[in-house]
Amino acid sequence: MASIITATTTSGLTQSADNSGVLQLASGTGNLVTVPSVTGTAMVSGNMPTFSYWSTGSQAINASVTAKITYTNSEWDTSGGMYSSSRFTPTIAGYYQVNAATCITATGNSYTIISKNGSDFKRGLQPQASVNFVTYPAHALVYCNGSTDYIEIYFSNNGGTNQSTIGGSSLTYFQAILVRAE
Amino acid sequence: MTLYEKIKSIHPNLTDNDFITVIRLQNDSDGKGDYIAKWEHPTLPRPTAEELA
Repeated sequence: MASIITATTTSGLTQSADNSGVLQLASGTGNLVTVPSVTGTAMVSGNMPTFSYWSTGSQAINASVTAKITYTNSEWDTSGGMYSSSRFTPTIAGYYQVNAATCITATGNSYTIISKNGSDFKRGLQPQASVNFVTYPAHALVYCNGSTDYIEIYFSNNGGTNQSTIGGSSLTYFQAILVRAE
Repeated sequence: MTLYEKIKSIHPNLTDNDFITVIRLQNDSDGKGDYIAKWEHPTLPRPTAEELA
């Protein structure tokens, strides 16, 4: 059983109460939501920031250098200014799903880095390849404190020669979304 | 000459693996160029600014 608050199509807002300690919200006759008995922030689309940026041109990365990748083109950005200068500094504490990829001709032990606060957090490696270019993806769940934590994407070019990234919305990109608020 | 090439000319015995494990050259895309972000080589000293100039 539960105490139910219902928005009806005939009588406006109605309620029925019991002593179960369970609260449910209903719209019409069929849509019922049970409010969980936990402490937290209800997540709706309006407070779940997300963005997707991609790199347009080529970015030179010298041999054996780990370089921050810059992204200038936005596919979408609902973060309200949390993304700036290819750095994501979320103002909502929680866990963020981060996706990134770098397309480049580098080989060897090269990798894309999801960097948190200037340090490697997770790396996305590819085996040594002998093709024209390779996309190095990296994915991670990253906790951010909502104030000082920030995320950037780096690429470590360990192929032994100077290389350049290959821009494109499907090739070199940086995305994130809040999946669980603190 | 890149920073990597300058360092290799100072310490020819460095391997590419050293640049993955104990040495990190970094570029923060802030217009300041490549720099040594980490030097933890067990025997070879970090090159001085004069050597890299």
